[in-house]
Amino acid sequence: MENVIELQNVNKAFKGFELKDMSISVKKGFVTGFIGGNGVGKSTTIKLIMNLLQPDSGEISLFGLNYKKHEKEIKQRIGFVFDHNVFYEHITLAEMKKIIKPAYKNWDDTIFYQYVNLFELPLKKPIKTFSKGMMMKASLAFALSHRAELIIMDEPTSGLDPIFRRELLDILHDLMEDEEKTIFFSTHITTDLDRIADYITFIHNGQHIFTKEHYKIEEDYAIVKGETNLLDRDTEQEFLGIRKSNHGFEALTTNKKRTANLFGDTVILEKPTLEDIMLYTKKGNDNYAKSYS
Amino acid sequence: MLNLIRKDIVLQKNTLVILLPALLIALLIDRSIIWVGVLFSFAIIMQSFALDEKPSTNLLMNSLPYTRKEIVSSKYIGACVFTFIILLTIVVGNIIIHREITQLDQLLFIAGVIVVFISFAFPFSYLFKSQYLMIACGVLFVLYLVLVNKFIPDLNDRLRAGVQTILSFDNSVLYAGGILAVVLLYMFSWMLSIRIYSRKVF
Amino acid sequence: MHILISNSSKEPIYNQIKDQIKQLVLSGELKEGDVLPSMRQLAKDLHISVITTKRAYEELEKEGFIFSVIGKGSFVSEQNNEMILERKRIAIEEQLIAAIQNSKEIGVGLGELKELLTMLYKGDL
Repeated sequence: MENVIELQNVNKAFKGFELKDMSISVKKGFVTGFIGGNGVGKSTTIKLIMNLLQPDSGEISLFGLNYKKHEKEIKQRIGFVFDHNVFYEHITLAEMKKIIKPAYKNWDDTIFYQYVNLFELPLKKPIKTFSKGMMMKASLAFALSHRAELIIMDEPTSGLDPIFRRELLDILHDLMEDEEKTIFFSTHITTDLDRIADYITFIHNGQHIFTKEHYKIEEDYAIVKGETNLLDRDTEQEFLGIRKSNHGFEALTTNKKRTANLFGDTVILEKPTLEDIMLYTKKGNDNYAKSYS
Repeated sequence: MLNLIRKDIVLQKNTLVILLPALLIALLIDRSIIWVGVLFSFAIIMQSFALDEKPSTNLLMNSLPYTRKEIVSSKYIGACVFTFIILLTIVVGNIIIHREITQLDQLLFIAGVIVVFISFAFPFSYLFKSQYLMIACGVLFVLYLVLVNKFIPDLNDRLRAGVQTILSFDNSVLYAGGILAVVLLYMFSWMLSIRIYSRKVF
Repeated sequence: MHILISNSSKEPIYNQIKDQIKQLVLSGELKEGDVLPSMRQLAKDLHISVITTKRAYEELEKEGFIFSVIGKGSFVSEQNNEMILERKRIAIEEQLIAAIQNSKEIGVGLGELKELLTMLYKGDL
């Protein structure tokens, strides 16, 4: 399968933060949900993908092209949505459109006005009067009106009400009917991903933990519950982020089959949510850092 | 890139609507308005620059299909366009109000001063922020005062003498040399700004 | 084509889709040559991810219930009843072998096993 986004061994260091040896690929024709806690490098990764930042080392290519030679060509094919307003605030939506439109070869006014009508956006009011939801809808209208092949969104649903979040998912479903389109979006509202994401890319502390088919996660991972006396130095190696109490323990296994073989009926295995995986991975890493540093 | 320049002019439309009539009024009062021309041009150019300084606007411009080189270049070319608009207004205003043609050397002088200003202001603003320009000017002025008072008391006289020498040259040589020097300065500043901006993080 | 997805079910969604389409084929509601909705259309209609329907279709294809023509879509395959019966027969044989092995391990004789089977067979059906 073709990759639309490819990061190979990308490193980027800031004061007090570092992306380490990041290798990610995003498949064409699918929705990839990009998850991780706050400050683990999601926005930095997205900025690298959009050439808003340059990596210290490593290769980044989009549509098989690199930014050094094909910057404008690549950007023509991307639609972007940021988590905050990037448009001029003192002008109206209609005026903003006049600024954005000439930048794109494939701009289509009909599509733009369709979305403006669908979202009930006022064309003649200054953008600064827009609510957070309207702002997001306006971004979306701009992102979708130039027949972009790749839609990149940074936290598009943060601060939005459930109704609009559902509307957004419907729009994304409509887009995905076209197998040439690819969507890559970061979020920490992981329930948004359950109905739309084909792949999940998970990063933690500047490192890529996994990219998997969404359904594969519940095949590989499980929440394990059992009695505390099952745990010893060896069996603890099987788990991430063990939480013990008087009543027993809870932990995450990254190899459901092996755990099932090892413990059989002595433990309960439950389907983990993405939040569980984020939480236990964080706890696991923190413990690891504590005991080994 | 033309789109970016057009964008700047459209965004300054309201300012132009206020500024250009003000310029004409200034012309009515006094026909030699070199410094007003310089001030107005500089004001509108820097206002247009400051509008695009916010990190979020940089995010937008760089996410659109433009390169950083184009974004910087549009500001340099746009500055020329704004200056041209101001100069044109002065020329046309003079014809209408005073029925006389503005002297070419006056126009060239205005353009020259603006180009020199911009050549310093743009790289400085890309490196820091345009709002620090005033502070920088203040600091420079203090340095100048210190220089005049403590170290070279006759600095002003020397400068005056220098200007006199230049003015005593043959006109055509003077103009050609002056224009060349100013254009070179502008080009250098342009390249420098591209370098600074391409490394900027926002 | 009616497909109902339960989010609270333990069964993965692709399995639910697979089983329901299989059922529709076996019951004759979907006939040979019938065209199925495209993976992307079905994903949109059911509000689920494309990769889920893709997996369901891939497994149905592997099991011989449907076939895909690139650029045209997915269709219901010719259902060979003999083959289905044969497959079932093999499955029964395997399960009986397992039962026999278990019986031998704990010393349950053939007579006793037959009796048990008869009883279960009558009781169940």
